[in-house]
Amino acid sequence: MNQCYGCSTCRSADKPLEEFIAGLPMETSHHRVEGQSTKCAFGLQGVCCRLCSNGPCRITPESPRGICGANADTIVTRNLLRAVASGSGCYIHVVENTALNVKNVAKTGGEIKGIDALNRLAGIFGIEEADDHKRAEAVADAVLRDLYLPEYEKMELTKKLAYAPRYEKWKELGILPGGAKSEVFHGVVKCSTNLNSDPVNMLLDCLKLGISTGIYGLVLTNLLNDIVLGEPEIRFAPVGLRVIDPDYINIMITGHQHSMFTFLQNRLTDEDVKEKARKAGAKGFKLVGCTCVGQDLQLRGAHYTEVFDGHAGNNYTSEAILATGGIDAVISEFNCTLPGIEPICDTLKIKQICIDNVAKKANAELKEFDFENRPAVTEEMIDEIVEAYRARRGSVPMNLMKEHGYENTLTGVSEESLKKFLGGSWQPLIDLIVSGDIKGVAGVVGCSNLTAGGHDVLTVDLVKELIAKDIIVLTAGCSSGGIENCGFMIPEAAQYAGPKLRAVCEKLGIPPVLNFGPCLAIGRLEIVATELAEALKVDLPQLPLVLSAAQWLEEQALADGCYGLALGLPLHLGLPPFVTGSKTAVQVLTEDMKKLTGGQVIINGDAKASADILEGIILEKRKGLQI
Amino acid sequence: MKYVIVGVGVAGIEAAREIRKKDTNGDILMISADAQIHSRCMLHKFIAGERDEEGLNFTELDFFEKYRIHWKSGVRAEKIRPDEKEIVLDDGEHVGYDKLLLANGADSFIPPVGELRKASNVYGLRNLTDAQAIVKEAESAKEVLVIGSGLVGLDAAYGLLERGKKLTIVEMAEQILPVQLDAHGAAAYQELFEKAGVRFVLGRKASEAVCEADGKIHKVTLDDGKELACDLLVVAAGVRPSLSGLEGSGIDCERGITVDARMRTSKEDIYAAGDITGRSGIWPNAADQGRVAGRNMCGAESEYTDTYALKNTINFFGLATLCVGRIKPEEGDVIRIKEDRTQYKRVILKDEKVEGVLLQGNIAHAGTWQYLIKNRIDVSKIAKDVFDISYADFYRLNERGEYKWA
Amino acid sequence: MKRIIVEYEKCDGCKNCCAACMQAHRDTEGTIYDLDLADPKNESRNTILKDADGRYKPLFCRHCDEPECVKSCMSGALTKDPESGHVFYDETRCGSCFMCVMNCSFGVLKPDRVSKSKVVKCDFCVNAGGEPSCVASCPKKAIYVEEV
Repeated sequence: MNQCYGCSTCRSADKPLEEFIAGLPMETSHHRVEGQSTKCAFGLQGVCCRLCSNGPCRITPESPRGICGANADTIVTRNLLRAVASGSGCYIHVVENTALNVKNVAKTGGEIKGIDALNRLAGIFGIEEADDHKRAEAVADAVLRDLYLPEYEKMELTKKLAYAPRYEKWKELGILPGGAKSEVFHGVVKCSTNLNSDPVNMLLDCLKLGISTGIYGLVLTNLLNDIVLGEPEIRFAPVGLRVIDPDYINIMITGHQHSMFTFLQNRLTDEDVKEKARKAGAKGFKLVGCTCVGQDLQLRGAHYTEVFDGHAGNNYTSEAILATGGIDAVISEFNCTLPGIEPICDTLKIKQICIDNVAKKANAELKEFDFENRPAVTEEMIDEIVEAYRARRGSVPMNLMKEHGYENTLTGVSEESLKKFLGGSWQPLIDLIVSGDIKGVAGVVGCSNLTAGGHDVLTVDLVKELIAKDIIVLTAGCSSGGIENCGFMIPEAAQYAGPKLRAVCEKLGIPPVLNFGPCLAIGRLEIVATELAEALKVDLPQLPLVLSAAQWLEEQALADGCYGLALGLPLHLGLPPFVTGSKTAVQVLTEDMKKLTGGQVIINGDAKASADILEGIILEKRKGLQI
Repeated sequence: MKYVIVGVGVAGIEAAREIRKKDTNGDILMISADAQIHSRCMLHKFIAGERDEEGLNFTELDFFEKYRIHWKSGVRAEKIRPDEKEIVLDDGEHVGYDKLLLANGADSFIPPVGELRKASNVYGLRNLTDAQAIVKEAESAKEVLVIGSGLVGLDAAYGLLERGKKLTIVEMAEQILPVQLDAHGAAAYQELFEKAGVRFVLGRKASEAVCEADGKIHKVTLDDGKELACDLLVVAAGVRPSLSGLEGSGIDCERGITVDARMRTSKEDIYAAGDITGRSGIWPNAADQGRVAGRNMCGAESEYTDTYALKNTINFFGLATLCVGRIKPEEGDVIRIKEDRTQYKRVILKDEKVEGVLLQGNIAHAGTWQYLIKNRIDVSKIAKDVFDISYADFYRLNERGEYKWA
Repeated sequence: MKRIIVEYEKCDGCKNCCAACMQAHRDTEGTIYDLDLADPKNESRNTILKDADGRYKPLFCRHCDEPECVKSCMSGALTKDPESGHVFYDETRCGSCFMCVMNCSFGVLKPDRVSKSKVVKCDFCVNAGGEPSCVASCPKKAIYVEEV
């Protein structure tokens, strides 16, 4: 016997990581997959209902209805709406905090790093305020005002931000959202015990929540952050566990709210704070990226080269990052901060600090982000982290993995930076699509899970298949973290692309997979799609564009997915979202949706088959465009 | 019909039970040197003081009454006289039979090293009497030397540890449990025994041992000249079939009594089962041989077919190990290992078939391995990692709801 | 004899049978609501395996007609009851050799998780009136008792 915690870890697309995790002396999520491998089919199909004390009721041939009379369609769609409402709530929480941050920065005369971003947004909103700070405040207020509207009043910015043909479609379907927070409330009420039982009615609500999630939670969060945090710039950066430099005091960040780290980020490079690190024996401080907030820092990394060491990995790499021993503290503010990191933090004496109450971890000290008092709170945090560094270094074993990951990963891709890279217009990309050098575009987005073949297994396999078919892949979310750690975002990855796409990539010196950053940046991807559609004068469903959330994980991803469907895009999922117990839900999501919005859900767990289906859709759309 | 069974080990007991099932009226007489029915696999528990004599009984406590069997204990069969259809006991009695089963097992082998065979403080560990004698000797002994680190040697050591003795184990091989385990698996047990206070001397043989004035050996010299002090010796160097009463009987013997698949010896109406046949000595096989012999003695035709015996389980200090098939790797083998802090698993594969498995630490649901190995199943045909293969991959139920193999 | 018949095609992998078995054999008083599902002492005698295609195959002791576990028991702990035909396990007689684990070629048996000195074995819920709890708990009626 040896020191390994357990020898049955799940597969990972990232083989060196798989080996590293299998050799760890502590338990990770990868170890727990096997013990959870027998799944209850009722749960998998979404036909277990626990909404009242008569339950749990489960649908079987002998008992096709719950005690209350709810059938599989009702139970499934009710469960789905609950999940989508909850997921939407998460993103709306993020945009709310983001807008508040912009407002606070503006009010206090703070730095506006992305003046172009501010001007673009103010232009869209029709805000004509000469003073930069006042203009920023007005932009933030406009967003906040919409978020707080009641459910029966439609949000105003939807029309300004949505693509016109889409807006009309949504209006026609009656799914224009009221105030985004109220919509979550409405959704939660709707699926409570013995209220709504109409599956189609509830599915339409999912779409409505998708729209508020997408336009506000995704698109606006990015654009608001760009104002105060700076816009993404295309550049090369290292990724993987290699980014951890043990000579520094290392802080792993997890969550989705980049704006909460700005002040800390800046303080960590101030001389007086660096002196604290030096006194403790370190060269200084480094932030180590993990989950989506790490992706966000990576994306805007051009602005933070000194303090940000690079993105180490996605949600299901977080335990491994900690297990290297090189991390001294975790600051988390949102998901996907796995509960599984807690015992590892205990064992390795890693300080856990949580700065947003909604994501309070059992082990963590809660130091809520407080804009007014941020200097004092930040100072406290820094001192505690230095203390943790002193206490643990030397007494905790190091298990670094310096060779993991890649040094020259392309990052900083956004709707603006990419357009700039192409010379200020989408025309070169459109030409390549028209000529067939790029057959189509696939957004491989969303999370990473451990059950669709293993950690990032389906995602990475699907990407391989798609690029080999000359389909360019754009990514956002934890899928990015997995794909980049597997080496598909370095220019040399062009060799895995089909001959035409490969030639394009080699000419431009780019990889065949472009990383837009965090899951929030699905909003950026969709801006690209909208602008392409505009340039082509077509509606979104006509584009040779597909989405895949191959390894979707959580409720937020389902809300994202609903946005994709509302936009009329084909959405591939590796695992079904607990709906297969309802024939109606399956019919509406996979077939009827085509007529409703133009979108459709494709559920397939096999990379090759999925790629074939997605390619088929792209070819069909090309045919429709006569290209 | 008069059935005589020599030996009350598992082969004899199972034969008797089978005979009574088939022949409700026949006379059954069992003869044994053992004064008590006992499981040899539990003698260490007696030595340790965990169980008394009765606690070692492996059959129904009213076995003889229940099956209407006469039992004559404390005697040995001194002569077998096939022509006269009788056996002569060491108390002089002549016992006639219609059908005779020789199931009197094996004896500990004490190697002819120095005066090991002569000394009064040297014991094998085979019978309850051995265990009783060891316990008695241990009352005054402080240092115990165990020769051999197979299962019996470790059993003895385990039992005596419980009595607070200082123990040294000498083993010829470079590892303990050399027949059952690879070096890695053996090291885990070595560590546990060492932690409990046992000292191991590996790769060494006893080369000299001389009785002192009290008739006991107080030191053993090893082949490197080193001397080990001792007051009590347990020799666990294997067993030999108990063939002593067979001289002149005309029954064919090689290593043990030669039997056919129906457990018949070369002499009519005489059968043999268990360790005395020199075939595999493991419990389930001996039991099977006894049942086959019993059925044939009643005139039924039955064959001992499931002869697979390359299998063992080990359990000391709560660390369980299961080993089936080949232990030593050969050229051309594929070795697969999985290991963590709770378990060590090693599989030897050859030509896509499992030839041997060793599981240590976690043996839950591991019975399927024996099937894979015994039946030389091509595991490449199952789309699973070899460690994940289970009965699910062969699942079938018959009309009686029993599991069968697909 | 009575045997638990398994219609594996119906199994949905919900593990209700496992929870029911744990509940039936827990050493504390209580109901299924307070069954400590995190206590390693609570072990199910049955389990659900998956074949290479991901299909569930419930593994329940068959109380075989010719039980290999009984045949390999060197302590007399495992016996086939002549009346009921069920295979019973007497923990007090068990020598913890685990030969039964090795010889149940269907892999039903296992050593207990905590003490590693006992065998975890179906007792047909004999203490609960011989109505197996797993059977009562199956929502798909994939397992039921039949006289065979």
